[in-house]
Amino acid sequence: MELCLFLGCNTPAIRPDVERAIRATMPELGVDIADVEGYVCCPAFGSFPSTDDDSYLASSGWNLSIAEAKGLDIMVQCGSCYSSLRMGRDHLAHDEVKLARVNELIELTGRKLECKTRVRHISEILYNEVGAEKIFKTIKKSLNGLHGVIQYPCHTLFPSEIVGFEESPREPKALRLLTEALGATVDHYSRELQCCGGAGGFSKSSPAEATEFAKSKLDAIIEETKADFIVVSCITCLMYLDNIQKKLNEAEGAGKYKIPVFDYNQLLALCMGFDPKQVASICTVPRTSVIDKIIAG
Amino acid sequence: MDFSTSDKDLWKQIYNTKDLLHCFNCSTCLSGCPASHGDPPLLVRNLARMVVFGLEEDLLNDDTPWACVSCSRCEEMCPMDVKPFEMILAIRKWQTSNDETRVPTAIVEIYKRGYTQAVGANTELRTSLGLPELQTITKMPEMLKLYQEMLMKTPVVSENDYMFNEE
Repeated sequence: MELCLFLGCNTPAIRPDVERAIRATMPELGVDIADVEGYVCCPAFGSFPSTDDDSYLASSGWNLSIAEAKGLDIMVQCGSCYSSLRMGRDHLAHDEVKLARVNELIELTGRKLECKTRVRHISEILYNEVGAEKIFKTIKKSLNGLHGVIQYPCHTLFPSEIVGFEESPREPKALRLLTEALGATVDHYSRELQCCGGAGGFSKSSPAEATEFAKSKLDAIIEETKADFIVVSCITCLMYLDNIQKKLNEAEGAGKYKIPVFDYNQLLALCMGFDPKQVASICTVPRTSVIDKIIAG
Repeated sequence: MDFSTSDKDLWKQIYNTKDLLHCFNCSTCLSGCPASHGDPPLLVRNLARMVVFGLEEDLLNDDTPWACVSCSRCEEMCPMDVKPFEMILAIRKWQTSNDETRVPTAIVEIYKRGYTQAVGANTELRTSLGLPELQTITKMPEMLKLYQEMLMKTPVVSENDYMFNEE
């Protein structure tokens, strides 16, 4: 199958090693990638979705119509981009007046939107289209002997009737089964479904409280599991849970917080034998403890 | 609290859905909400009350809707289908249209280069990772011009056009 990869802003600009991991791994699993040339911001919830429907949905329509012109569905890793695009599409697919207005606005591009293109999260593609078994059979190295914990991206769970794909949003399992397919043992912990807290204004307007909120999650991981790493599938979760550990160590001065954080496709790429320097090199918490074990087999 | 000057029809301006009136303040929307831990806390159920009671001035001056992380737990869990996340966005929209200082600076960035980040500017890093050059809208001036022309027809950009003019 072929899908349009919607990269958003943070992945290509700040963590392009994640983009490299996605581009390296998906074709190996039969998912070819097309680009969305001339795409714009999804748009982020703090931007046009917070100002008016016209500018929000016109930007959604701008992006969706590029993929629709290619006859392809959209695949997204970033949780916010996924949710914004999918909610935007949902508004347009169920409201003829809004759709007509967006078509009026995007007419200058020569494109027309019919809402045929679907918006899908990369973890859903991996889980439903590729499947854990195929992943298990494709990898050359494994995470055998390593323990991981999962950070499920909120934007792929809630509201489940619009963005969801899990059988139960209260008991998600896609990322756990995908991680187990790489040979890791996945540990559960009490704050598994707690949001990372990294998106939106919270971490900027209440930095101390937001740090405490993330700390409660990391403390639960440290106290309740044998986690060697955290698996995410959202660029915000990745950057936030990685960077906040440095901040916590500076405050506590003990180096207590040192759990490497990986995007799922980075672990997949490492297990497929891709060069760690290309697919997993940008991080705050060093990843060598995990990467060395994967390479050593 | 003084209700004598409150606008009882304010909710129709801000978030015109009868579902909002079904809110019975159960506080499920606070459970698991990261920003409810903030200082000041984002208290979604209080915002719902403020909208229903028409407390216009208090609402206009309230920064907490902008602390929302958009995780949409409240949207999932609300037993009365108020769609609290949609309500948060609706309050932000209403604040923005009534107070230009609320216009998010991010939309000026997006207008100027298509993105909140300098996407595609890190050519050296991308090349070292074996990545292709990205066809960003920033590198497609004619396309960017069309995007700006489109945005100029939308309320937030046309009503605040001075913010978007190139120096």
